[in-house]
Parts: sequence; C-alpha cells; structure tokens
Amino acid sequence: MTAAALASPAVDRSRSRSSRSPLAALVAPLVLVALWQLTCLSGLFPPQVLVPPSEVGETLWSLALSGELERHVGESMFRLSLGYVIGAVAGLVFGATIALSRLAEAALSPFFLAIWQVPVIAFVPVLVIFLGIDEPFKIAIVALATFFPVALATFDGIRSVPKAWFDVARVYRTRLPDLIGRILIPATIPAVLTGMRVALTRAWVVLVAAELLAADSGIGQMMEMGRQMFRIDVVLAGVVVSGLIGFALDRGAKAIEHRAIRWKYA
Amino acid sequence: MYVDPRPPSISSASEATARGALTVNDLHKSFAIGGDSRLVLDNINLTVKPGEFVSIVGASGCGKSTLLRLIVGLDAEYSGEIRLDGERVATTSLDRGIVFQDHRLFPWMTLQQNVELALLNTDTPKARRAQIVADHIALVGLQGFEQAYPHQLSGGMAQRAAIARALVTEPKLLLLDEPLGALDALTRVRVQNELQRIWMAQRSTVLMVTHDVEEALYLGDRVVVMAPDPGRIRRIVEIDLPHPRDRRAPLLHKLKDEILAELTAAPADPANLVRLPGREGR
Amino acid sequence: MTALLSRPAARILIGLIAPALFLSWWQWQASAGGAHAFAFAPLQSIGAAFVQLIEDGSLVTDMVATLSRSLAGLAIGGTLGIALGVAMAIWHPLDRVLGPLLNAIRQVPLIGWLPLLGLWFGTGQGTELIVVSLSAFFPALLNSYEGVAHVERRYLDIGLLYGFTAAQRFRLILLPAAMPLILTGLTQALAFAWIASIATEILLSAGSGLGVTMQLAQTQQRLDIILVAIIATAMLGFTINHLFQRLRRHLLRWQPSAL
Repeated sequence: MTAAALASPAVDRSRSRSSRSPLAALVAPLVLVALWQLTCLSGLFPPQVLVPPSEVGETLWSLALSGELERHVGESMFRLSLGYVIGAVAGLVFGATIALSRLAEAALSPFFLAIWQVPVIAFVPVLVIFLGIDEPFKIAIVALATFFPVALATFDGIRSVPKAWFDVARVYRTRLPDLIGRILIPATIPAVLTGMRVALTRAWVVLVAAELLAADSGIGQMMEMGRQMFRIDVVLAGVVVSGLIGFALDRGAKAIEHRAIRWKYA
Repeated sequence: MYVDPRPPSISSASEATARGALTVNDLHKSFAIGGDSRLVLDNINLTVKPGEFVSIVGASGCGKSTLLRLIVGLDAEYSGEIRLDGERVATTSLDRGIVFQDHRLFPWMTLQQNVELALLNTDTPKARRAQIVADHIALVGLQGFEQAYPHQLSGGMAQRAAIARALVTEPKLLLLDEPLGALDALTRVRVQNELQRIWMAQRSTVLMVTHDVEEALYLGDRVVVMAPDPGRIRRIVEIDLPHPRDRRAPLLHKLKDEILAELTAAPADPANLVRLPGREGR
Repeated sequence: MTALLSRPAARILIGLIAPALFLSWWQWQASAGGAHAFAFAPLQSIGAAFVQLIEDGSLVTDMVATLSRSLAGLAIGGTLGIALGVAMAIWHPLDRVLGPLLNAIRQVPLIGWLPLLGLWFGTGQGTELIVVSLSAFFPALLNSYEGVAHVERRYLDIGLLYGFTAAQRFRLILLPAAMPLILTGLTQALAFAWIASIATEILLSAGSGLGVTMQLAQTQQRLDIILVAIIATAMLGFTINHLFQRLRRHLLRWQPSAL
C-alpha cells in the first residue's frame, strides 16, 4: 500500500481536541474506566470475560512489585529504542540519498517501492527463519517498520523544498554549509519529524505483534501468556500498559514536533 | 420593444403588479467583535422601485456586503426595517436571489443540476422544470454546457451560471455581491454587457454591490455611494440615461470622476477616519 | 546525466540494477554454503514452489481468502466508521459523548486487542474478521467526521437560500462535499484492513490466507513458500489499491485536476 494511504487523516483531530490541556485528555479514559468498573459490578459479564479495573489494577501492582512489569516493559523499550534508531538513521540516509541524487533515485526507488508494497508484518516469518526468535529478530523487525515511513518522509520533505528558495539562495550566493544548515534542514524538518512520529507508532505496534508471536519477554509476550493461561486480568493489564505506552510515545513525539516547528505555527 | 422571453411565471399573475419594491428604513447593524460592539451600518434608508437597477459603491469596510446579506435574509439581526413589497424580511426566501463574488456552484453537480436545484423547493411542476432551466441557461448564453462541471467552466461562465441559478426562481429582487470581482478586466466588461442584456430582458429589481465605480455607473439607474466606519449612505446619484448604455457617454465619465474623488478623498476628512470603538487618539 | 535519466528505457534498465544485484547476491548465498545457506532458498526452488502452489490451487485459495477477509472487514468497519463519523459530525451531542471515548480506545495498538479478543471469541476466523473490521473502522470514522465537519459554510448558505430541508442538505450538500475525505478514509481503511488481514493470519493462523501460509511455511522452514506468498501479497496489495484509486478518481471526477 502506498505511503499516502497510510498517512494520518487529513486533519489531526486529536490535536485540536486534547491539546487544550493535558487534563482534558484524561477525562475520556477516566470515563471509560468508570464505565468499565460499573459494567463489571453489574455482573453483566462473567469473570472469564471481563474483569473490573480494580482487579486489573491489583494485577498491575503485583506485577510492578515483583519487578516483572519492569522487566517486560524494559525489554520492549530496549528493542523499540535500538530498532528505532537503526531504522530511523537508515531511513534518513536512504531518503536523503534518493532525494538528492536522481541517479540513486532511478536505481533504488523501484526496488524500494516494490518492497514497500509488502506489509512489514509479513516479513516476520522470513526474519524468524533467518534470525530465530531472539532479540536480533525483534530489533530487525522494528528497524524495518521504522525505515519505510522515515525514508519516505525524508524523500518527500527534501523534494518539496520549493525551488524558489534555492533560487533565492543562489541570488544571495549562499555557501553550501549555510544552504544546508539554514535552508534545507529547517525546510525539511517538519516532514521528517512527522515521518519519524508515524514510524514510532508503527514500530510499537509491530513490536507488540512480534512479541505476541515469538518472544520470551516483553509486553506482547506477557499478554500472550496471559491469554494462554486464561488470566484475563493479565491480558487486560497488558492492554492498558501498551495503550499507555503508545499514547505516551505519540504525545512525546508530537511535543517534540511542535517545539521544533514553532516557526510554522507562530 | 423587448419581447419578454420569460416562461410562464411560476408565481401567480396577480403579483405582476408590485414585483420587487424594496424599502429599507433606519437600518442599523452592529457586530460584536472581541467584546466591543462595532457599528457596521448606520441609518441606512433606501427605496428601490420595481424593475430598477441600483448599484452600490464604496470602499472596503463600508458594510456593502453586510447590507446585502441582511436584505437576502442570511442574517436576521438588525434594527430598523427591510421590506420587500410590504413584507418584512426576516429569513431567506425564493423571492430574493443573490449572486456572490465566488460563484458557489456545487462542484459535484453539473451546470444543469446546479441551476435546477434552485427549483427544488418550489411549486413548479417537475415536468416544467427542465424547460425552465434550459431557458435560463440559454438566457445567460451557456447553451451546450449543461453537462459541464463547474471546474470545467471559466470564471466568467461560472458566474453567468450562478446568475442563471439566481434567476431561475424568478425572484422579485436580485442581489449581486461584487459578482464580477473575481474576473479579469476583459471578462468583466463582457459579463457586464451580458448582465445588462439579461436584466433588460428580465427586468427584475436588481441591487448590485461593486467596488468598480465605472461598472456601477454603466449598469445602474441609480448609484448609491457609501462611506465606511460606520457604513452609511453618503449620497445617491441618479443616472438618467436609457439602456443599453454607451460606455463613452460623457455623463458617465463626469460622474465617475466625481465619485472617485469622493471615495479617495484625503484622510484629513474626518468622515474618512477609521474609528475603532474605545481607541481614541490613535 | 539528466538527459540520460529522462529516457524511459534508460530508467527501466537502471531500476533493474538493484533487484538484479540483490538476486545475484541471494543466489550466491544460497549456493556458497555459508553459515546461513540453510536459510537462503535457491531461486530455482522459489520458482518451483511458485509453480507447485499454483498447480495445487493453494495460492489462489490463499489470495482469495485474504482478499475476502480484507474486503469483508472493509465493508463492516468502513460502513460503521462512515456512518458513525457522519453522525457525530452532524449531531454534536453524539460527538461530545463518543468522541473522547473513541479517541481513548484508539490509543491501544489494535494488535494489542488480539489476546483479549482471543479470550473472548476464540482464535478462529471470527476474531480475525473482528480485528480487520476494527482496523478499517477508525480511519473511516476520522476522515468521514472531518469531511462532514468541514463542509464549507458558503455551500450551506446556498442550501439556506433555496430552502433545503435537513434531508436535502444532507443528500445534496454534506455527503457530496464530504465525499473526497470519506473516500480518503476508505482508502486508508482498505490499506489497514489489508495489513490487518495479513497480520491476524500470521498471528492466529485460522482458516486460509497468505499470512497463514507464511506462518505455516515458517514452522516448516520453507523459505521458498514464504517468499512466493510475500510476492503474491505485494502484487495483490498493489493491484487492489490501484483499482481503488481508479474507482475514487471516477467518483470524484467533478474535482478540478489532480486531487
């Protein structure tokens, strides 16, 4: 599927809604939790199906105390960070290369775009065969998931620097380092940061999926174990944690994005 | 002299008596801007006879467009009176049509569909609608383009289509809000001629807002000159020349020089100072 | 150089360099007897696997299965998403109630719901379909909402002028004006449904499908089969996206130029 199809919706609604205050963003989840607790209290669903948030909270607490939660989250975060950095750097370099060199673009982009058609998750079986189910596999899949959005965003960002700006630079006889530092980089940062944010969210999703499938630690694996042992409280604990982490990652990335591109919205 | 090409009227024949007499009395309009109340129209008094073509000119900010919105009924908050044929204007009505500076044709409909939708909520029998629509498309000179989408029409053509849509309900009063403002100079002259021809054929009452003084004088029986801040009528000029007009008529040029001089008067004239409420001495 | 690159024949040739190099490297690895030789399937075996999968019909079955799952999920999730998005944009109370809740749910990566859904509904095709529908739901919802919420005021004015009823306003203004964004939402929903299909097939392996085959082949160390499935995934995905774009262009033919 093309990159355009997977970009965020045309207008970022979450920004207008919840960036008014961080507290406002908490209201909805709290309401959700309250509804959840009430539904359980009403006895509508048997405990095999739904377990109240209070119980999930207890499970989380005991997992935290025993250090198990820390272990799982830590493992997941480690894989995410390492894979993300590798993939992002590779993506930046690749995207910049094909954006700046027509020859590189002609040579590399057809192959790149062909592979881009394959959902990253489909590479899991391939990578498992090559790398087994240990850390290298998970880091590799995260790197892969990060690589594509970052590469595309970098390419788009550089290519959409208006030619007119280059003309202005030539008229004022700007030296190359200044051209790169004062024109190119600020012009491309917004697109690149957006791509990196999207990549982060995607990488997190792919990691959880990979851990569900083949891992001995990590949030995904924690949920899968919970499922196999019919411990719905553990599963729900995992859902909550992965949701919180995903939310925090997204918000953090958006904050960085906004700080860096203040000039655009000033 | 002029054969009225209008199809059998969709309104009853008895209304042929007083069709489109507009009276505006002591009209005041204020907007609340950031807590302050800003007077946009001050003591507007205007009477338009049926079948008359009245132009309104003035600099930006004199409330011309606001005046039209009030008359067409898109805005109902005002003090004073607006009456069409004796009836108070409070909301929109098919009696009053309007053409905006941006044609506002629905991009997803063909020209024919756009014009026809004006008849959607009228009593006109469905069988007759196609014919009425075709007649009005012909009236504005767009035969052959019925199946075109708005993006396929040029600016001038789209504006003519908007005029057709406004006229197809045979409104008593036709309002034009800087209808030719978005067109280039050459197209503007052409569409002005078209507008004159169409109006002479239809003889609806027309109230046209424009910033182009020459256009106002060329088309109008009377020209209302407005001043800004707050918007008010400075004077009304009568043009006693028959239609179709000759652009070279000396009277038109003389009046144009006069009015332009007034509108671009030096800021020393206190009537032209921009006054914001609560900011004396700026 | 630029002149050379502008010739289509030259571009095609240059574009083939990278895949050609890659395939050569691959073949070398498969036959060189290095540490990973067991993993690299020689190109001939990939070709043989392809032929075999066609002959026993399983490739076609898989492609049809994944495609049907995606389209079914798109139909369910997409329809619900559009309906709810439009409704929320029109009736603000509904938006105020549901909006924040949906936003909160959206934070959890869909794949994270899989174990939970597995406990509730088992690990069969039903669960797969639910996840696929959910992944189609959110993009359809968000974009439909934006589409209707941002219908330009000036078109609504025209509706006022001609005395449109609420139904007319909906049918003649809101829906067509929102259609570009609604279709964007569906395009995204299709992409997400496709990915979710493959993902759930890999994770749950229920029924048949390209992902199921990939996962099964992985347990059997049959890289050649996996690769055939991957290539089929890429081509099928590209094709349905391309077809969808053609459909979208036709539906939006009233739009000026390339939008």
